[in-house]
Amino acid sequence: MRRKVSQVLTYFFLFGVVVFNIIPFYWMLITSFKTDAEAYAIPPTWWPMRPTLYEGYGKVLMWTNFPRHFLNSLIVSLGSAILSTLVGAFAGYGFSRFQFLGRSFLLGVLLASQMLPGVLLVGPYFKMLVKIKLYNTYLGLILAFTTLTLPFSAWMLTGFIDTVPHELDEAAMIDGCTRIHAFLKVVFPLITPGMVATLIFAFLLAWGDLLWVLCLTSTDSMATITLGLSRLVTQFRIIWPQLMAGSVIAAIPPMVLYLILQNYLVKGLTGGAVKG
Amino acid sequence: MFRVRPVLAIKKEKGADAGKQGVSPLNSYRRFFGSTTGLWGAKQGYFFILPCFLLLLLVLGFPTIMAVLNSFAPIWTTGLKNFTLNYYRRLLQDYIFWNTVLKTIYFVGGTVTLHLILGFCVAFVLNKEIRARRFFRVMAILPWTVPDVIAGLIWAWMYDPISGIVNDFLHRVGLVRSTIEWLATPTLVMPSVIIADTWRGYPFVMLVLLAGMQAIPKELYEAARVDGATWWQELCYITLPNLKRMIFIASILDIIWQTRRFGLIWVMTEGGPARATEVISVLAYKTYFKFFDFEYASAMSVAMAVFLFVIGLPYIRMMARRV
Repeated sequence: MRRKVSQVLTYFFLFGVVVFNIIPFYWMLITSFKTDAEAYAIPPTWWPMRPTLYEGYGKVLMWTNFPRHFLNSLIVSLGSAILSTLVGAFAGYGFSRFQFLGRSFLLGVLLASQMLPGVLLVGPYFKMLVKIKLYNTYLGLILAFTTLTLPFSAWMLTGFIDTVPHELDEAAMIDGCTRIHAFLKVVFPLITPGMVATLIFAFLLAWGDLLWVLCLTSTDSMATITLGLSRLVTQFRIIWPQLMAGSVIAAIPPMVLYLILQNYLVKGLTGGAVKG
Repeated sequence: MFRVRPVLAIKKEKGADAGKQGVSPLNSYRRFFGSTTGLWGAKQGYFFILPCFLLLLLVLGFPTIMAVLNSFAPIWTTGLKNFTLNYYRRLLQDYIFWNTVLKTIYFVGGTVTLHLILGFCVAFVLNKEIRARRFFRVMAILPWTVPDVIAGLIWAWMYDPISGIVNDFLHRVGLVRSTIEWLATPTLVMPSVIIADTWRGYPFVMLVLLAGMQAIPKELYEAARVDGATWWQELCYITLPNLKRMIFIASILDIIWQTRRFGLIWVMTEGGPARATEVISVLAYKTYFKFFDFEYASAMSVAMAVFLFVIGLPYIRMMARRV
């Protein structure tokens, strides 16, 4: 009897959690299919009366700069993710395989640099990028996002390379490989899944950022997806179906990627690495 | 079969088997250049981490130093000539700054507490033997996969006083008759933002705690059950003590991330109304790019960075020592 009661309570609680988690998604989705007039209906409708793709998705894709923002996000996030994953892989190998002087200290520096608040860096970045004429450019944004992604990637990849037995590179070196060949030809292929995971998490870190783009771009054609959407809010009248359609499109890539990779992140985390 | 025997000094053994390999010139060559611990071997490590740290120095080290210097003097115009502590003095006397500190404590305290409570409860339930565990797990993680800016936008629309789902739901249930302005009432706005942030943030804490719970050996619970322990005793004497480390990690990381939270609050309220949700990152941003007071904003950010570093230090020490 008591077992039954506790089971019922468990599922009841889980049901509540699912409802709490799902409702915002539901609201976002149905709004994106509503017409502009219906979105402002009083009382609001819980199911679109005349579902339409044009008012939300059509207009946000055709009338606004949204496709450009999506592309900008893609370029900038991928650029910084690739840069930091490649550089981070070398650093990860160095940390994982060598007991050099100051190793713990440098690992600590890596972790500490993840704690620096963005607002500490945006000021100097703004001044610096204006000086070297990289303000409002892709390269400037990629460098800025590297501050977010590089410490994370290096730390994460150290953990992944730790899982590859060091006997493998030693065997390769006995067969005549140099250190660098042992890394590139033996370890590199083995950590490909870990590198892909790190690449994607770094990509998502940059994808979700607002502060940096807000401070380091000036024209709408350089804005990323998060900035573009947040600008739609501050306009005089908010057109919610368009905004929610844009949000759906912006939320889908990270949702899919996170769900595929969730186990990697937990593993990286129990090894100590994470930033979100 | 030919077997490759590792002749190179293995990490952490520090040449313990050095004597066994014989003293052929080739072996000693390998021991010297191939080892990972000796003088030369260790230096190879620097070679591998060099690109990373050069880049870090460029994109993180230099701006950080400039920010710290900027908090003492307007370095971008007159250099270090006008060195002064006035910006920090101003910080101490500025009631707007202290209001921000209080709001930040309110926001971080509220969200982290709720993340921990909700995250623990959900992890606890998901760790039981339940049907459709994978489904519930995915459902529980879902909000965290959304960028915080988007989460803020969705919730801002849900809180809409006239066409939002929150007021409509309360009306239909019959709890409220009036139209509540969730994001325009100074006393209500912070709880509203905290709830929105909890929705997005708790799944991360849940994931960490769930990973910790799954690492607790099942034998402990079996032994406790043999001894007739209740679920409450299991929770207090097995689960919680074994989870201490994970709770510690999750709290520190969460405090740091929540203190830095910018996007969600910015799109929901921009710090308003009447500075009711003006947390420190929002105020620092405004001081930089609305008032262009770079020196004062730098002083503010440096204070925030020092605070974050102090909070994060136990985590850094724990992690760096372990690996």
